[in-house]
Amino acid sequence: MAVDFVDVDVRPILRGGGEPFGEIMAAVNALEPGQGLRLLATFKPVPLFHVLGSKGFTHEAREIGEGDWEVLFSPADVAPEENAPAPQPADASAWPAPARAMDNRDLDPPEPMVRILAATEQMQAGDVLEALLCREPMFLLPELAKRGHAWRGAFQPDGTTYRILIRIDGAEAVA
Amino acid sequence: MTGVTLSRWSMSYFALAVLCLLGAEALMALGVGYPAADMAAPETLVLVHLVAIGWLSLLMCGALFQFVPVLVARPIHSNGLALPTLVCLVTGLALLLTGFLQLGGGAGPAWSLLPWGGALLGLGFALALWNLGRTLWAAHPLALPARFVTAGLACLVATALLGLSFTLVFGGASSAPPLLALTAEGLPLHVVAGFGGWLTFTAMGVSYRLLAMFMLAPELDGASTRWAFRLGVAALAVGIIGGTLTIWLGVDPAGMLLVAGLLGMIALSLYGWDITQLYRQRKRRRIELNSRMASFALGNLAAAALLGIILAATGTLADHSGALLFLIAFGWLSGLGLAKLYKIAAFLTWLECYGPVLGKVDAPRVQDLVVEPRAACFFMLFHAVIWVGTLALLAGAPLLFRVSAIVLLLATGAIAAELIRIRRLADVRRAIRLPQGVRQPRLLVSMVRQG
Repeated sequence: MAVDFVDVDVRPILRGGGEPFGEIMAAVNALEPGQGLRLLATFKPVPLFHVLGSKGFTHEAREIGEGDWEVLFSPADVAPEENAPAPQPADASAWPAPARAMDNRDLDPPEPMVRILAATEQMQAGDVLEALLCREPMFLLPELAKRGHAWRGAFQPDGTTYRILIRIDGAEAVA
Repeated sequence: MTGVTLSRWSMSYFALAVLCLLGAEALMALGVGYPAADMAAPETLVLVHLVAIGWLSLLMCGALFQFVPVLVARPIHSNGLALPTLVCLVTGLALLLTGFLQLGGGAGPAWSLLPWGGALLGLGFALALWNLGRTLWAAHPLALPARFVTAGLACLVATALLGLSFTLVFGGASSAPPLLALTAEGLPLHVVAGFGGWLTFTAMGVSYRLLAMFMLAPELDGASTRWAFRLGVAALAVGIIGGTLTIWLGVDPAGMLLVAGLLGMIALSLYGWDITQLYRQRKRRRIELNSRMASFALGNLAAAALLGIILAATGTLADHSGALLFLIAFGWLSGLGLAKLYKIAAFLTWLECYGPVLGKVDAPRVQDLVVEPRAACFFMLFHAVIWVGTLALLAGAPLLFRVSAIVLLLATGAIAAELIRIRRLADVRRAIRLPQGVRQPRLLVSMVRQG
């Protein structure tokens, strides 16, 4: 089946120093069933692969010259994992500014997870916690889902710092 | 991205794997198999497959079901397949080992169990490959560590196919000329695909990620890692595919294996360079026991490579292949496996028990589940006795080897007891051991609580 791709070129935004994440997610949310997304960017947007992967898209990335990349996100016909926690909304634009911030990049695993969960227990519903990590917190995310918190996380453009925003009890608020 | 949950049956894989290791060491202590018997004797085949399938492959499968999702940041394709896979592998192994004993004139039915064992093992590995392959496929393009694992899984296919063809011929189920030729000449290919491809190459890929993770070192994806991967794949392809084709053309595969060996040595040197960088660039100065003991295992891999070169250069590889295989299987693969298992068992048990209550109550740290100074003695003994055992095999001293095997059995038994203590939370302070909301974990199954 040929996939109908919607083009999104975020190179002008990136060259202007902007953050195109919101525009990309808006375009993804506007896709019709069966439609795919053709993204043009100035770097290989690895964090997006995971974000859109969790929304059921497969991807094919290729370099198209001068450091630019074309990525085709196609809808996969794979049923979502039955027991997996639901993917959290990636749009955090309406969230308040972080009430607490922590830099956990130099901590031994699993200390970053311990500190983040300890902080979430002390914060008020609706508050946002910001944490910097040196890897994707794979074992933390299911625990956040179980506790009803929403999150948005991605690698920063430096490719080594993972920044996560956690909204306390946010999963119910947006469900 | 939804994160990774606990793999329910991985602890069962680990427990059965350790039992097979203890069983194999007991057989060596009793003088069963090489060096008392010939390298190709049925008893030696029992011993080798108990180690390669029962211990190392079950350990690897259990670990991959948990850590491939971490490598590729996606959930496992199916949690439900892990148990049927385990049943097929264990039953297949039991039939295979009994089939080997039949070859030696042992008891059992008049018809050979070998093809049945081979078929069930093939089915079990096919299920594991399907599960891991689908998980990896959904995550492409893959980072380098995951590509190593993928290549290792491809070698598992080759190992299983070669093994299956041997069982068909030995079991009298087939006498097709290509299978007969492979059975006559293909044993080195089976060993290279199994120990070199499936076990070593996969362990290399996993070690890149786990060592970086546990020592807070930067992830490597530079030229040396890429070339270690490319040359390693080239070595395995030349050895396994090239070797098979030369056998079918009626030529001795030794030339192909020599080329594969040279390529493999360059790949291993690059890997050694990379791992040295990981240890040097780590942010964590005081490293845990698992990383310290992994460095012994990596040293054993280097020693095995050196020994291989010396034996090949002096034309004595055929005489001493048993010693070389012992150093690879025990010094490198078992040493690394036990060191990582010591960490993995503690981490997964901690996550299972205390993850749900973190931040809510006073909970132990991961390191509160272990007593490293005590375990360190057993690990040191384990490695020391492997070096003695290797030298005993090289020097042709079977009695010294049996004494080494007895000490090896004791050291492994002590490490196994440490693993059970971890699972039982036996070393956790009573005051914080079972806070409200925490249950004693089961020994063999991880309880995965949802929502």
